[in-house]
This record gives sequence, structure tokens and C-alpha cells, in this order.
Amino acid sequence: MDPRSADHLLDEPEGALDRLAEAAGASFPNLVRAREYTHAELGKRAARLEGIDSAVVLFGSWGREELTSESDDDWAVLDDAGETTLARARAVLGGADRDPGQQDLFGLSFSCDELVRNIGLDADTNTNLTRRMLLLLESRAVAGRAAHARCVGQVLDAYLGHGVRDFQPPRFLLNDLIRYWRTICVDFEGKRRSAQGDDPKYAARNAKLRTSRKVLFAGGLLPVLLCHMKEASEMPAFLTRQLACSPVDRLAAAFIQQQAVPEGVRAIAAYDRWIGLMGDPAVREELASLRQATRDESALFAQIREIGDDLQRGLLALLYETGLSPLTRWYGLF
Amino acid sequence: MVPALLSPISPRMSPHLTVGCSTGFMDEARGDWPELVRQAAAQAPFAVELAALSEPELPGLVRYLEGGPSLPFLYTSVHAPSKHRRIPELDLVNMLARLPRSIDAIVVHPDSIGDPRLYRPLGRRLAIENMDARKQAGQTAEELAPFFDELPEAGLCFDVAHAKSVDPTMEEGGRILEEFGDRLRHVHLSSLDENCHHVPLTEHDESLFASLLSRCRDVPWILEAPTTS
Repeated sequence: MDPRSADHLLDEPEGALDRLAEAAGASFPNLVRAREYTHAELGKRAARLEGIDSAVVLFGSWGREELTSESDDDWAVLDDAGETTLARARAVLGGADRDPGQQDLFGLSFSCDELVRNIGLDADTNTNLTRRMLLLLESRAVAGRAAHARCVGQVLDAYLGHGVRDFQPPRFLLNDLIRYWRTICVDFEGKRRSAQGDDPKYAARNAKLRTSRKVLFAGGLLPVLLCHMKEASEMPAFLTRQLACSPVDRLAAAFIQQQAVPEGVRAIAAYDRWIGLMGDPAVREELASLRQATRDESALFAQIREIGDDLQRGLLALLYETGLSPLTRWYGLF
Repeated sequence: MVPALLSPISPRMSPHLTVGCSTGFMDEARGDWPELVRQAAAQAPFAVELAALSEPELPGLVRYLEGGPSLPFLYTSVHAPSKHRRIPELDLVNMLARLPRSIDAIVVHPDSIGDPRLYRPLGRRLAIENMDARKQAGQTAEELAPFFDELPEAGLCFDVAHAKSVDPTMEEGGRILEEFGDRLRHVHLSSLDENCHHVPLTEHDESLFASLLSRCRDVPWILEAPTTS
């Protein structure tokens, strides 16, 4: 039995998913399996990349600890690591059908300094914003852990280094996080329009917005709002601890601490069903066959829509119908 | 028009995001589905229960929904018939199974169920409602269990007033949520008169129900009676 109090758990959420399951006599088999699989596969990759000092980082389901056998390897090397390191990374990560989903974002190296120097304004491109947010919200190092931690620290410092007040969520980071979520929603429409109705990624992209992207955003929003409990000097360490945990653990801890265990169980059980679907190659194949014009006839898409609705209702209950409601209302819109 | 439920009617209900109405209490428009939808949307635009409690109402509702009306609601349930039943059970289930995918839940009274296995094609859309003290089956967690055993995908429609009629201490209601809370799809909310008819929620009941409702904050609450007498 985990002896941590609910408040302690909120501060250090690792393992909160197990606590939520214990509290309700529930189980989340797909999430637990995916987490174990993630840890095992991270270990294997790390062993093969031993000796590299540069940060070799995995994103996406790796960072959320939701890896399935069907997941891509969204990887990157931080900073100018040299061709040798990139070649070693390429030899271990991606390949065959695991190559990164977005070739311009991943499967290469990018500069941490660039992420930090350009926040906002024209130079903060869509790519730069995406990399910066994914680094914070869903990244795991398989080599160069110290370099990865340094980069996360630099990004946090850029957000927290000026104008942060005790017991107030850091607005700069909060606004950029919300901007990122809205950006991926707007970009979804942009991609749909560009494809003119024939995009094999359309249904999967829409399904992910309803599920894993929402968990990513809500799981990032919570710790930023919870900075309300912290003095400014405590926020960097608090956010570092939070972001080192999976988004699902962060959400589970908040549901427990806000005495919303039944709602949390239903929301995360819905997400667990989604993770189960993502591990099924036939599901991915069917999603790739769907188009905007055909998705409403699909029983699979109806199932995903229901999962997304159940998840969203739980997250909204957490954010708007618990003690977090004043924070969400005060900081969430303006 | 400002939906009536968006005005601050009570400290507990107004913060809840998904409150909706059942069309079951809109007697004057019974059978006129476009008008019932209009009235329900005027009350609350986020959720609705289209109630075909009397079997002769169902074919009209099915025709209306098959016509693909544009509905304003984020959550739409259909209450299956529990009165004046004549259609063979298998045919009734087939009719319910053909409801468009936009219908989120199909509420069925357990005492109306003859053979639970026939309802499996409804899958996760099926929501079994706990019954009031007058009914022969499905009042308690123990009585609901065999239905869920036969229908592993089915959800729960938790009628909090029915739970009170069975046990005014609300302990049985707590047991139902304890046992089947993971299946909860939505809540039916009202008070009951001495004949177990749904009447507007009283202040006393609102306080009494608060503890159980606080375990249901993520699901729609469907009002089965007007908000005022």
C-alpha cells in the first residue's frame, strides 16, 4: 500500500495510476501493460546507445509511457551532436514501420538553445513550439539523461525566469501551453483542408485529438495551475518533478486529491480502452482507411468518439466541478 | 432565448456542466418530436433524454431520428418503452439497435426485460436503470447484478429518486454506485410523490442527494420533471 497522502501524491504523482486503481478496486490493464512495455523498451534502447553524452530523446507515446508494439519512434538528438551520434541513433531508433510520424520534427537533431531563445514572435515557428512543448510534456531520454534534464531546465527557466509571483500560476508558460493545444487543434483543420478529403491520417489525427492529445494538454495544464500552491522559488522543482511523471499519473493524482475518484476511474478507464485500441494493428489499419466522408459510418470511430466524450467529461468534471474550478475559471480563459 | 437551466436555479445544479431534460414530462407535445426537442433545448442545450416510455411512441421517435434531424445536444439518450408493451422483445431490441450512432445511450427498465441476452446487440449504448420501490426487479444493487452479469457492456442509468424510494437513507443508492459506478452513463434527477411519480426536485431531496451526486460529476444529469412546480 502506498503510504503517501493525497496531497503528497499530488506533489509527486509517480504511481498515482496504481493508487487510483487501488482506491476504487478498478484496473487499467492496457495502460499498465503499455507502461511496463515502455520501461522495458526504453531500457533496451538505452543499453544500445550507452556511452552517448548527447541527449537522445523519445517523444510521443514513449514520453507518455503508453508505448504499444504499433507505436512510432519519434526521436531526436538535442543540440549539434555530430553525424556519428545521429547515425547510432538512427541504427537503434525508427526503421521499418517505426519511423517518426512527422519527418520534419523528429529523426534529426535540434538545438535546445533555439527552443529557449525563440519563444513567441515570428521566429517561434510551429516546429519550434511543438518541439519545446513536447520536450516538456512528453519526452524521455535514452541517452544523455543529464543533457536532457539540462535542456528541460533551460526551457522551464525561460518561462519562470521573469515575472513569476508566489502562489500564482506562471502565466507565460500557461499561455504557451494553451497556445500549443489550440495550435494543434487549428493545424488539424489546416491539414484537413490541404488534403481535400483524402488524407489517410485524418481519422487517426482526429482520434488522437479526442484522446492522447487531450490527456497531454490536461496533464500539462494541471501542474501549471497547481503552481498556485507554490512560492515562485518552488515552482521549477515542482514542475520538474511533475513533468518527469506520465500525464496519466498527474491526472490520477489530481482526481484522488480532489476526491473525485469515481470520475477519475471512469475517465481513465475510457483512456485505457483507447490505449487498448492503439495496440491493435487492425484498428490502425481501419483508421487509415477512414476519411471525413466515411468516418461517421464506422463502428470503430463511434467507439473512439464515445471514449473521447467519456474522457473529456471526466477531465471537465475535474477542472470545473472540484476545488480546481476557481483556478480553471480564473486562469483558463484570459 | 436563454435556456432556463442556465439561469442560477440552485447552487448544486448550476455548476454542473451537463444538465438536460427528459421529454417525458412535456405532456402537451407528446408525440411531436420536433416540438419536444425544441422545448428540451430551450430548457438546456447540452443533454436530452427522448422518452418513448409508452411503446406506441417509439416508432415515431425512430422515424424522426432516422430522418437525421440536426440536434443541438452534446449528449442524447433514448428511453426505451416500459409501458403498453406489445412488440415482441426481439423486434423491440432490433428497433432500438437501429437507432442512429448519434444516440449515446438507450435506457431500459430491468423489469421490462424478459431475456437479457437479447439486449446484447445494444452494446455499450444500453443503460439499465435502477427501479423505484413499486417495481418487481432492479431496485437494489443485488437485484441489478444479474442483468449486468448477462450484459457485460451495459451501463448504469442511476435514478437517484428511485434509490430514495427504495431506501430513504440513500445507503442502497450508495451501494449501487459502489457496485456499478464504473458503468455509470447518466443520472436521472427529480423527486417522487407518494405514488412514485416524478415531481420537481425539492430542496430537501437536493440536499439529501448531494453526497451521491458528488460521485457523478462527469456524467449528464437528466431532469425528469420541470425545475419548478
